[in-house]
Order: sequence, then C-alpha cells, then structure tokens
Amino acid sequence: MDGASTTPEVVGDEASASLETPLTRPPLVLNKRNFSWLTERISGVVEQPAPRWWWVTFTITASIATFGLFCLGYQISTGVGTWGLNHPVGWGWDITNFVFWIGIGHAGTLISAILFLLRQRWRTSINRSAEAMTLFAVMCAAIFPGIHVGRVWMAWFLAPIPNNWGIWPNFRSPLMWDVFAVSTYFTVSVLFWYTGLIPDLATLRDRATTKIKKFLFGIFAVGWRGSNRNWRHYEMAYLLLAGLSTPLVLSVHSVVSFDFATSILPTWHTTIFPPYFVAGAIFGGFAMVLTLMIPARAIFKLHDIITPQHIDKMAKIILLTGSFVSYAYAMEFFVAWYSGNQYEKFAFFNRIFGPYWWYWWVGMLFCNVLSPQLFWFRWCRRNIFVVYFVCMCVNAGMWFERFIIIVGGLHRDFMPSSWGMFFPTWVDIWTFIGTLGIFTSLFLLFVRFLPMIAMSEVKIVLPEADPHYGADHHPAAGGGKERT
Amino acid sequence: MKRVFQHPPEPLTGKKYWRSLGELSDTPEFRQWLEREFPAGASELNDDEWSRRGFLKLMGASMALAGIGLNGCRRPEAHLVPFTKSAEWTIPGKPLFYATAMPRRNGAIPLVVTTHDGRPTKIDGNPLHAASGGATDTHAQASVLDLYDPARSKYFREKGKISDRAAFEKYLEQSRSHWMANQGGTLAFLAEPNFSPTRDRLRNELQKVFPKMSWCEYDPLLSSAQAFATEIGFGERSRLVPRLDRADVILALDSDFLDCGQGDLELVRGFSARRRMSAAKDAMNRLYVVENRYTLTGAMADHRLRVAASQIPAFTRALAEKMIAVTKDSSLGNVVGTLPAQPDPAKFDDQWLTEVVNDLVSKTGASLVLAGPDQPVVVQLLAYAMNIALKNLGRTFIVREFPTDRRIKSILQLASDIGTGRIEHLFILGGDPVYNAPRTLFQDRASTQLFDWADLQKKVPDVVRVGYHEDATSALSKWHVPAAHFLESWGDALTSRGAYLSIQPMILPLFGGMSDIEIMNSALGRPKPEGPELVQETFRSTNPPGDFETAWSRFLRDGFAVHVAPKDKPSSFNANASAGVARNLWSSASAPSLHSPEIVFVPSYAMDNGSYINNGWLQELPDPITKLTWDNAAQMSPTMAAHLGVETGDLVRIVVTDTRKVPKEKNNPAEKNMPGERGSPIERELVIAALVQPGHADNSITIPLGYGRKTTGGRGALPYAGRQDDASPAGEGAGFNAYLLRTPSNPHYVVADGQAVASVKVSKVGQKYPLSITQDHWSIEGRGVVREATLDRYRDDNEFVKKLEESLPPQPPSLYSHPPLDAEQQWGMTVDLNVCTGCSACVIACQSENNVPIVGKLQVSHGRAMHWIRIDRYYASHKEFNQDAGDWPQDPEVVHQPMMCQHCENAPCETVCPVNATVHSEDGLNVMAYNRCVGTRYCANNCPFKVRRFNYFDYNQRPVGKKKIKGQFGIYKEYFAPFTGKGAPDTMKMQKNPNVTVRMRGVMEKCTFCVQRIEEAKIAAKVRAGASNNVRIPRDSFTSACAQACPSDAIVFGDIKDPESRVSKLKQQDRNYRLLNYLNVNTRTSYLARIRNPNPKMPDAAKIGVASMEEKA
Repeated sequence: MDGASTTPEVVGDEASASLETPLTRPPLVLNKRNFSWLTERISGVVEQPAPRWWWVTFTITASIATFGLFCLGYQISTGVGTWGLNHPVGWGWDITNFVFWIGIGHAGTLISAILFLLRQRWRTSINRSAEAMTLFAVMCAAIFPGIHVGRVWMAWFLAPIPNNWGIWPNFRSPLMWDVFAVSTYFTVSVLFWYTGLIPDLATLRDRATTKIKKFLFGIFAVGWRGSNRNWRHYEMAYLLLAGLSTPLVLSVHSVVSFDFATSILPTWHTTIFPPYFVAGAIFGGFAMVLTLMIPARAIFKLHDIITPQHIDKMAKIILLTGSFVSYAYAMEFFVAWYSGNQYEKFAFFNRIFGPYWWYWWVGMLFCNVLSPQLFWFRWCRRNIFVVYFVCMCVNAGMWFERFIIIVGGLHRDFMPSSWGMFFPTWVDIWTFIGTLGIFTSLFLLFVRFLPMIAMSEVKIVLPEADPHYGADHHPAAGGGKERT
Repeated sequence: MKRVFQHPPEPLTGKKYWRSLGELSDTPEFRQWLEREFPAGASELNDDEWSRRGFLKLMGASMALAGIGLNGCRRPEAHLVPFTKSAEWTIPGKPLFYATAMPRRNGAIPLVVTTHDGRPTKIDGNPLHAASGGATDTHAQASVLDLYDPARSKYFREKGKISDRAAFEKYLEQSRSHWMANQGGTLAFLAEPNFSPTRDRLRNELQKVFPKMSWCEYDPLLSSAQAFATEIGFGERSRLVPRLDRADVILALDSDFLDCGQGDLELVRGFSARRRMSAAKDAMNRLYVVENRYTLTGAMADHRLRVAASQIPAFTRALAEKMIAVTKDSSLGNVVGTLPAQPDPAKFDDQWLTEVVNDLVSKTGASLVLAGPDQPVVVQLLAYAMNIALKNLGRTFIVREFPTDRRIKSILQLASDIGTGRIEHLFILGGDPVYNAPRTLFQDRASTQLFDWADLQKKVPDVVRVGYHEDATSALSKWHVPAAHFLESWGDALTSRGAYLSIQPMILPLFGGMSDIEIMNSALGRPKPEGPELVQETFRSTNPPGDFETAWSRFLRDGFAVHVAPKDKPSSFNANASAGVARNLWSSASAPSLHSPEIVFVPSYAMDNGSYINNGWLQELPDPITKLTWDNAAQMSPTMAAHLGVETGDLVRIVVTDTRKVPKEKNNPAEKNMPGERGSPIERELVIAALVQPGHADNSITIPLGYGRKTTGGRGALPYAGRQDDASPAGEGAGFNAYLLRTPSNPHYVVADGQAVASVKVSKVGQKYPLSITQDHWSIEGRGVVREATLDRYRDDNEFVKKLEESLPPQPPSLYSHPPLDAEQQWGMTVDLNVCTGCSACVIACQSENNVPIVGKLQVSHGRAMHWIRIDRYYASHKEFNQDAGDWPQDPEVVHQPMMCQHCENAPCETVCPVNATVHSEDGLNVMAYNRCVGTRYCANNCPFKVRRFNYFDYNQRPVGKKKIKGQFGIYKEYFAPFTGKGAPDTMKMQKNPNVTVRMRGVMEKCTFCVQRIEEAKIAAKVRAGASNNVRIPRDSFTSACAQACPSDAIVFGDIKDPESRVSKLKQQDRNYRLLNYLNVNTRTSYLARIRNPNPKMPDAAKIGVASMEEKA
C-alpha cells in the first residue's frame, strides 16, 4: 500500500490489534493522530498555495467544462436537433446523463444523513466530500432537464407560477414531480452540507492570515464561537436536517424512476423501478465517491483519515447494492416472460440480442452485475487497484444501464414501422464530457477552498473526544487509552 | 382667401395666467406664431389663388382629363391583384374557392383551389366532376408549392442577359417576317403534350399561317407505343378508356394503373369502387399483376408474378396462346398466329397462366387486360386482341373519340429536321429536353456522328425557351421566357376521358410568366390578350347553349362544360392491320440474367419526369414502396444484390454498351457521356446507389426517372429547409439521372439484345451513398397492426378480425375515471386498408393544409421527417423471416397503413406533458397548444403510435444541412443558428394556410384531425343557426384534408356519435379494429381489415393474404 511507504509512523494495522485484543474496534483514525494534526493537515490543504498539479488539472477540466458550456449554448441557440435525437428516440444522452448524475448525487446524502442517523461513525471521514460531490452531481444533472427541452426560454412553464392565463402545470406528469423532487433534494442537500461546514469554516476563519479570507470565512461561519450553546443548536439542526434528508434520498430517485415507470412503454412501464433505481443510485454513487476519494487520499496523504477500513466498508455497500440491482435485472426478465405480453417479451429479448446488445452484455452484465462480485473477497476490497477498477466499471455500467433503459425502450416500441436507432452527435458527446469537466472543476475548487474532510466531526470520533480520555476513571473497565 | 379663425375678443377679468414669457410680453412675433398653422419657413399655399373653390375646379378638371376622358378611349383594364381595398364579395379571413384544372400528361384533373386574400394555398379535386370526385393525387396537391418556388424563372433573358417582355415581343415581330418568307419552313415548336382545345386551335392557326412549320410534342414518360397501337387497332382519333368499375377480373401487364401520379384518378376510383366491401357477402374484384418491380398496383394485387420487364412480351404471347386455346377467338388467333416463331420460348409457370386465362374467360365481358403504356406496340396489340377475345370491348374497354393530330411530330422527327439543318427557329414550350430527351437522338448519315439533344439544340440559331426554371435547356437557348404556372394563366383542357375543363388564374403571374397559348398568340402577331379572350374564342366555338356570358360564367364556376360530352366510338378491332404490325415489330429479347440484367426506367412516384425537382414536398415524400426520399436508387432484388455483393446505399456502376461505335475520325460532340477510344463501342455509364427491394424480379434493375436534374436558375433563393447548400435550389443534384442511359430504341428498358445494345454490365463501386429512407423496418413482428384475410376466410369467419384480437394481449379494465367527452358531436376516423393503395396523396394534402415543414434530406436520414400522416409499408410473407438476422421475405406481399394521430380517448401523451400543452377537447380531439409546449418530447416518447413530430430545428426559418463537397458526392454538416440567415422567402410564406399556426423549433406537433376545418364548420353552423340554437354541423358536410384528397376514399372522417354518418357506419363493420387495445388508449381512428381475393386454383393461392398469419409467430 502506498500509504505505508509515505507514512512511516504507522504502528501496526488493526488486524494485528484485533488479534491481540479481539474485542477492540479498529481505530477510525490511524496512527493516533491528534486534534492539531488533523487541523493542520486538513486546513493546510486550503491554506497552502495551490500546488502545480492542481493548476494543470484545473486548467484541463475547466477547459473541458467551458467547451461543454459552448455545446450547451450551441444546442440552445440552434435547436435540440444538434443532438442525435429523432423520432422515435426522443430522449437519448440528455436524460441518460440526467439520471446518471442524479444517481451519483445519492451517495453523499446517504452517507451524511442515513449513516448519521444509524450512528455509523466511520462516515465522518468521507461525508464532507461525498456531500460536495452530491451537490456537484445534482448541479450537472439539473443542466439536462433544463436544456433538453425544445424551448429553454419557456422552461419556466414547468414552475407553478400564478399567471394571467390561469394555466397550471400538469400535476399528473412525472416530469413535474421531477422538478419538485430534484429541487427539494438539492436545496436540502445544500443546507445540510453548509450546516456541517460551519464549525470548520470557523476554524479556517480563526486561522486565516489575510483580511479577505478572514472576512469571507467570517461571513460564512455565521458567528460560530464553538460555545456549548452553538454546539447544541448545531447538533439539533444537523439531526433535523438528517431526518429531513433521509426520505429524500429514497424519494428523489423513486420520482426520477417514475419518469419511466408511469409511461406505457415496454421496459419503462415497470413497478420495480423505484427501489431498483434507488439501489442503482446508491450503487453508482458509492462508486463515484470511491473514484474521487482514492486519488484525493493519495494526493493529500489522508491515509490516516480515510483508512482501508473505510474503503472496505464502501466496497461492501457497493456489493450489497450491486446485488439489489442484479436482482432487479433478473426480475425484469422474469416478469417480462411471466407476463406473457408479447411487447414486453420482445423488448427484453431485444435488450439482449437487439441492435444495442453489447450495451447490455458489457454495460449491465459485466460492469454492474459481475464486476462487484469481486468484493466478496477481502483481498479485493483491500486492494486499491481492484477497488478502483470495479468503481470505474460501475460508473460506466450505470451510465450504460440508463442508456439501455431509455434508448433501448424507445428505439423499438409498439409500431415496427417506427423502429429506429440513436446515434450521438459530437454535441451529445461533448455535452456529456463537458458535465464531467464541470463536475471535476467544481470538485477541484472545493478541495482547494474548503476543508474536504469534516474536521470537527472527525475530531469527535477521535479517542481524545471521549470525555474520559486520558484519565483512568473506570480502571475496572479497562484502559481508556485502548478505547476508540 | 384663407380665413384664420379668431376668437371673439373678451375682456380680461381676474388674474392673468400666462403660458410663456412670449405670451406675457405679447410681442408681435409671438402673435404671429400663434396664428400660423405651420412654422415660419414651411411651404404654404398662397392665400389668394388657392381657395377651396379653385382647388376643386382644378381637381375636377384633372379628373376629367385623366380619368374619364382618356380612359374612355381604352379598353377597361382587368387585373388580378391582391386587394388593397376590400372587394364587395370577399370576407376578410374567409377563403374563396375557384374551379380550375391542372393539365397533365394524359389529360387534366378538375380542381377546386382555395385562395386566401388572393393567394392560392390549397388544391383539392373538383367534387362536381367525375374525373376527380373531390379527390386529387400527390402531384396536384403539391403543384401549389411550385407556384411559389423561389427558384422559378423570374426574368425574360436574351442570351443570358435580363430583358423584358416588350423586347421579346419585338424579337417575335422581327422573326415573323422570316417565317412568313419561307412559310414557316425553318420554324419548329417543341411542346409538352397537353390536351388544350385552345392550344390546338392556336396551333391550327399557326399552321395555317406557316404551313411548313413543324409542331412536335415530347414527354419523356409518354410512350407513343400505346397511341400507335390504338391507332392501328381502332383507327384515328380514338383513345381507350378502361372501365375498372365494371371489371371483375383485371390482369395488369407491367401496368401501374393505380399510380394516380399519372393523373387519371378515374382508374383508381373505378378500381376501389369494386374493391370496397361493406360486408362479407359483397363481391370484390380480383387483380393479377405481372411486373418486374413493386408498384402501387402490385401492392394491391391478389396474385403477383415477378417477371422481368423485357420478358413481358413473351409472357403476353404465352398468355394469348393459352387464351386462344380456351376462347378459340379468331382475331386474337389472327394476331398471335402471325407472330414469328420463337426459337427458345421463355418458360413461365404454366398453371399460373392457365388459371389466369380461365379466370378471365369465366368473366367474359367483365374482365380486363391492361398493358403498361411503356410496353412495346406488340404487347399493346396483344392486350387489345385479348380484350376483344374476352368480349370486353364496349363493356370494360371503351374506345372514345379523342382529338389526335397526325401532323404532330415526335422528337425523333424533330431531331432529324434539326440535324439536317432545316430548323432555324425553335420554340421549346416547357419540358427540359437537354435533361430528359433520349440520348443519341440523331445520327448523321455522312459522318456517322451521333447527336444528343444538347448538340442538336446548339445547331439551331434561334431557340426560344419557355421554361419554369432556368435549366440546362435555357442555358443553350437564345431567349428564355418565364413560364406561367397553371394557377396564373387562362386556359382549358380535356380530361383523359375527353371532358372539357376550364383553367382560370387565381393570381397574376408572380414573375410575369407567359403561358403556351400566350406565346403562340404572340407568335401569330396578335395583340396581347387582356383576359380570357383566347379561351373564350375556343369556348364560343363549342356552341354553348343560351346566353354566352352566362354559359361562360357557368363554365368558370363549375370548372367544366356540360354541353361538351365525350363521345364513345362504335368501333371494331382491326385484327388484320394489328397482326401485320405485330408481326413486323415482334422481337423477342433474350432473357436477362444476373450477369447481364435489364435496366428498367420507370416514372418516379414523386418527381414525375423531373418537373417537380424543386418541389420540397415531393422530394420529401417517401416513395410509397421503397420509402426513399430526396433520391432515386437502383432497385434490385435481394438475389441480385447478393450477386453484386451490395447492400442498400452501396454505389453500383451500370455500363450499357451500344452496338454502334464511336466514329473513328471526326470529333464526336456526343461523346461526353460515352467515354472510350475512337472506334470502340459506345458506352453509357451511370453510377447510382443500390436499393434492395424484396419482391423485385431477379435479373432486373429498376431506376425511377426524374432525378438528377440540373438547373442553372435560382441561385441564392430557397432559404427553407431542404436546400442542400447556401446557393442551390431544393432539388438540385438530388438523385441520379437515369435519362443518361435512355436512347430512342430503349425507352422503357435496356437489355442486352444484340441488336441495339451489346451488353449491360453492373458492378459494385465500393463506395457508399447516403440514402434517406423513412422506414427501415418492414416486418409486422406479429403485432396485429395490419390485419388481413382472404375473401374466403372472411366469408367463413366474419369475425376473423376479433379472433386475431384474441391472440393479442387483452384490454384490461381502466382503474381510473375519465373525464366525459360530452360534446354533441364527436370526431373520429376510419381507414379502409382494403382500398388504400398507398399512393400518398393524403401525405401531401396534409402537408399543404397544415403547413408541415420540409426538413431536408439530412434530417430525414436522422429520422426527423415531420409528416403528420405517414404511410407505413410492411412486407408479409407466408414464410417466416427474421429481418434482424438479415432474412429477406421471398415473394412478399405489401400492405400499406396510413398512420396519423389516433386521437386516443385515453391519450398517453396527455398525462405526461408537464405543462398541459396537449389536452383533450370535449369533442374527442387530442389537441396541441403550440404556444404552451416547451418541448420535453415526453409525449412523443409515450405515444405508442409514434405519430408525434418534434421540430428539432427551425425548419420554417433556416436551412438545415449545408453541403460540403467531398469527392463525387456531398456530405452534410449542421449549422450554427446565430450565424445563419433567418427567414423564409416571401413566396414561401404566401403558400401557408393562414388558419394553421406555423410552428417554431422546439415544439411538438401532430395530426389535429384538421381542427381548423372543424372550427370553421362549427362557426358556419353557429352563423346559420342564428337564434335557433341548432348549432349541429350537418352530417358529413366537411372532412379532413387527407380524407378529402384520398382518391380511393379509404380515409373517412366524421361524427362518430351520429350513427348515420359515414364514419359511424364504417365503424360498425365487422372488419373494423383499433390498434393496441391492450394499452387501453381507446383510439378514435380505426382501421378496416384488408381482404385479398386470391383465386383458389392458383398455385400461389395459399401464400396470399398472410399479413395477419404472422401473428401466430
């Protein structure tokens, strides 16, 4: 492990510790790092001048993002026809990308809210960046429903604004529900993320060396003093927001799945979609968290905070949700066969053997079903390269899955005369690559200007945070030093 | 004296308020300023001489001089102008309808034209006349767009320089003295065939003045074979009229008589009259078709045999021999018996022949044998003789008196006149002979040089070309005169069956064009007609009953003259003369093979002979069989394609080698199209895209004519979609010019016969050509979309349609309550698949009525055609085939299905629209609010019929797809909207129906059941009702554009709540079915199942009517 070579002060790993004292939990932060080390290491990233690699990477990603924005401008000014859409395929890469990004935006809130409520303390090392990732992914996702419409300048018709014609949006339309679900999810996620940031912003404010930094961090730290009262309010707000976010994690992708499930197309019209989509979203989201965390961990030398144990746990979640997804895939085929409906049967037959056969074999079967099976093996879960490979497979596979569902459902539906194919144009491709650029650029800005690890929360899980730490209050219960 | 009004002076009381310092100081300047009407320095009339009285005096005098005095000396001017002031009988916003007629190759179609504020916008058939019955075809429908073609010729040109009409008239004046001097010996006219009595009258007058002049008529698609055979068989001045409405059994030999593009709608109407059924007990005609390629007629066939076009004579002979054996008819025996013996007669399915003959003979007097007009004279004569043997003459086969004139020359005779240098003045009225005349028209005896028309035309010093476009022929002419559209000119015409129709203009010639009769009138040196005088003179000679003015008005109003009745000829068949001609002309072509196939030239269903090349509607109209747009292609059978190793879209090279050789010595001007060494055989080459067409005869390749026409005019025009680059008209360069392979000896097919043609070679080029095909998938996939049965099965089981329904997923009950559809009248539609020929007149009618944009070839290839109604074409075969695995159906049958918005009562599109842009009306329409649509396209995704059409680009405003030349062919790229010009040309805007919104990009659109017509009918009903509250629209008093245009009356629209309406009665039939019931969509459009009527004794009887059988798969 490269972490071992760069951090020579590692003293044994948790495996040997558990061998000697089987009942102790492995520490969440290795090498007995203390509060000040944490503050220095994490604040240091923000406070030091940007390293050269950051500038190089940011220049590249920002250029890609800019070109992506140019593609958006081209598409808006010229027409949806700049994409490869046609009759019968009215949605292609646009909605595929939308569902893909929304799915990625699931892991953050799941980690921050659900794992928080479930008292999964290991979440603290990854929740900040996962939440940031969520926001950026939702922002990328929100681009697509916004611009995929034919008349972008009329998109405000989707909002229930009282108007002199007395026309309301159609509340029966799942696209309408989408607007509400995604915007609510985004709003709550921003609030949640920001609330969690406040103590860390205050830390940065206190350490700020320039007036501008002091002013800005001061504004955003909203007068945090770290008092007992502050903490009490903060903890309550955080808990409430976690409670509020939890149903949203489940609802937003369920609603996204309604875009398809409430339609009449074979392969879309399926009741299994809400749980299937939510599982898929968490599956894809965790893969993306790992995709971002593994390089960040290496670059910023955060091996003590993001430990192999974290990666192992996330790999297990990927395995679990991947199994849900595999089950859903199998169920779809079973139900299509069991329904006896010729259109359904054909659609699923076409999925495997039709013109888009390799999307299914490579994208869904290999990437989504087979590759996570490696995570049954501990060695695989602990091997960064295997984990990274599987995550990349899942990232790609989940994109393919959405493409198969959307285009595969549309390109051959009821009227054989209207069967067609979808071929992406360069605008399609660069719009998607552009959102990848936007996403990575925003993430780079995030790691540059904000603490990428929730310092205050990680400190809470350190042994030092225990009120009994250091003093031998209960000698009979064992040494406090060993407690974690 | 100008009086300035002064207020009576009043004493000032109280406080004095002042408006300005000027008023306060009360200076003289201020007082003057107050009094002056205009500021100082402005010109004014001087006080004294300009009293009101003086003014009136002067104006009165000028009125008297200018208006009454001088005008009284002149003829009253009659102008057709858009109103600047409202005329008494017009209501703004209400259309006016005029009867007129469209001249066509075989005779005119009577029409009614809708005009809005003086602009013709829509063409429909004249319901008062039997030649139309209200129906039209694709070309009549689309001709209104030609009127507004921005690329049409706009100027008189002398040697390419812009001139004017006065100069042209002066030129004619000067030339006339030359013609007079030699009695017209140097004068020739080349015109398109046109059965206009006025033109005939003027031609006769010209011939009186210039007795030696030549008058020649040429149309590349009008074969002289049929006319010649008719003259031999039935004497001069006769024309054959098939009465399909009386025929029980029809045999079509390479005859695409259901191609209403040729203009004879009575054939379609007669055929469908005997095809239509209301119950299983009804009788139905039977159609046998023998042809090489799939035609509309072949698609309707009960039995179809694939035979190469060059083998039709042999087939006809074999058939005639069988018939002699059965009927023992002497005249048929006479004709067949004299034919030279065939050394190696081709083999045809003996049972097929025998049973066809038996079937025909069993219906003696009610059968019909039709030979395609392109087939040689022998086939025509044999077909006539067979009809005589079947005692059809006077029953299903009428000989009608029709004006013909032996003095009319063919283009070959004209070519020889030009070639020998006799012609110095040539008028080319319409047509484009440089493009479409047969190649090597003339061979110089001395030098053995061969001449194409272009070379011949260059030999004529003075060519006057009257053309609709400035095309290749214009480029070689001294004068180019813009031609008037038939909607811009006075005229008259005969229908193909001899009825007399009027042609009246709706609008003054947009670009000052002249009609044929005006040119002829000018050539005669007569004064320019101000109005209908030329036609009136002809009309007067028909002796209309009663007062002339009344009769004339009635002629214009009705569009036809009742008193001129076509006469049938009591004639008999001249078997002896026919036998003599048949013996002389008989030639048995050697059978084509895979290595040396025949090349067959056929009219294109869209382009006709090429005259519609710039008509975007027709360019984008999918071919009814191949579904190809914007191009033609070499159609070949899967076997042929496999032999050549090509697929659809691969380029093939066709090389036809002549038996003649390139002259050794002299430079041959015609060798441009004939590469090769001097002394080597002449080769003609065409590189064309292949199109694999199941059901095509093997050993045969079919190329539709009319494509690949080059024009020189209209640069910079046409900024609407469909243009292929910034500077060329819509159709320029579209497709491949098959005229390049056509010579006088092979007008219909080229086959290596060893006489004129030494060899025909076809090879793969190895390049691809992008073809835009709108329907790639042709298997029904067992989905019960088109339901079909044989007549016997239908009679055995009236409920077969419902039985088929049982094999499909059942309709579940609805879980929801649905809003009531409670208007008094509820709209619905039926489509009778049994009579729908797939001719696509409805597609163009809809496009014309509803302002459906043209999207261009590139967009069609992206699958973005905008047609609101499409004709789905499926192949069905008794043997299962898997299209995805690359299987081709063997001897497939074709079924057509018009598909438009089905107006589901439970419309899936409506629930998913987030902005309520598509909703339901109380009268059952699924309506679209374009202004509300934001374009999520969810409705189109959720539409099970895929009939919703999205404006992916601003098709009405900007061109799509620029051309970038790469190699031989263009490839396309998209455009960048902010940097391209916006806006349609004014003329294109004039065509638009003002009652239908022109949609912008980003909105969804689809068939509305012509909601504008429904609303108009509702308004009219309300106006009629007055206070009576009876606002019901009278039963079947109006219809949708597609139903109105349909020549076979397959589409019927109306009130389904009224049990007595036509549509309700059709929906009660047992053949009625709705699509995709299992989705619970409750469509308002339903289909009537198709019935085929195979002869059970035929060898292929079990393979007929199988479109539904697939459903068991």
